[in-house]
Amino acid sequence: MEQSSQETPFGSQEAFHGAFAELYPRLVSYARRYGATFPEDIAQEAFVILMQREVRVEHPTAFLYGTVRTLSLTERRPMKNQNLSLEAVSEPGLAGGADDQVLNQEVRERMRLLSPTFREALWLFVVEGLSIREIADILGIPEATVKTRIHRAKAQLKDQLNPTGGVHVLV
Amino acid sequence: MSWSDPARRFEPAEDVQLRAELRDLLGLGPVAARAPEVPTAELTALAEDLRREALRRRRTERRRPTWGLLAAAALPLLAVLTGLGAWGFQQKHRADGLALQAQRQEQELTRMAATHAAEVAKERQAKEEVQQQLQLASKQGGRKAEPYLVIPVEKPMKFQGDDYQRVKAKPQQ
Repeated sequence: MEQSSQETPFGSQEAFHGAFAELYPRLVSYARRYGATFPEDIAQEAFVILMQREVRVEHPTAFLYGTVRTLSLTERRPMKNQNLSLEAVSEPGLAGGADDQVLNQEVRERMRLLSPTFREALWLFVVEGLSIREIADILGIPEATVKTRIHRAKAQLKDQLNPTGGVHVLV
Repeated sequence: MSWSDPARRFEPAEDVQLRAELRDLLGLGPVAARAPEVPTAELTALAEDLRREALRRRRTERRRPTWGLLAAAALPLLAVLTGLGAWGFQQKHRADGLALQAQRQEQELTRMAATHAAEVAKERQAKEEVQQQLQLASKQGGRKAEPYLVIPVEKPMKFQGDDYQRVKAKPQQ
């Protein structure tokens, strides 16, 4: 389905302005966590790419997050560590944005102890508030895999809270 | 949320529950409903700039050929290939026919050569037989073939001359 030039992926222009106001700071923060040098540029480029598409995007939020992730990783590619995967979340000084003010040191420490693969899915699900479907779109993996990663992250968090042992069931 | 996203609008209850549990484990507390962001003038201007940039790019970008165009472009090539294929098949069919015809002609020539050789051998044999018979006849008949009539005469007891008298044969009419 194609969209007209007046219509935006979020509906009317007012809806687009509202979505932009809500998503833009989060996308800038998300790009910064991947260590992007110019996170604002990346977030803006993601919006332009979304608006540029003639075919309607089914999940614009997931598309924006996925584009920001790809652009951030591409920007980082010449650098040494390509498997960042939200490693910067735990690093003081690198993480920024409004959400980081919400996360206290204890939460950051708990997130840091998780394996990077699970941490990424957990971050998108819990902190960014994205759905399983959106996370699957962003990471380019099946929804079942996203669920598995989140449940394993949950199990690791439970292990952190109960370090002496105890059996928990992976639900 | 002032804008709609179907992926979040229809989020299952179990996912919402899971998110709440995880927030609890992380010590984040319950999910607080976010107040819709009020777009500031600066953000609205930026959004409009980006929208215009997207429209500009959409107008100026080089359109990728669609499948229809690709198919249309490939059609002449396909026609040429089909024509070449048909021509090749026809040529092969024709070559097969000619090869079969040549083979038949070769077989016919071989057969004729064999027949001819047999006839030659037969004639040669007949000739040899005739020659043998002639030789045999000449041995047996002596001077039969000679054009003179030879009359043997009794040999006189005391005659030193020729012992035969030659008489010229009458010419045959």
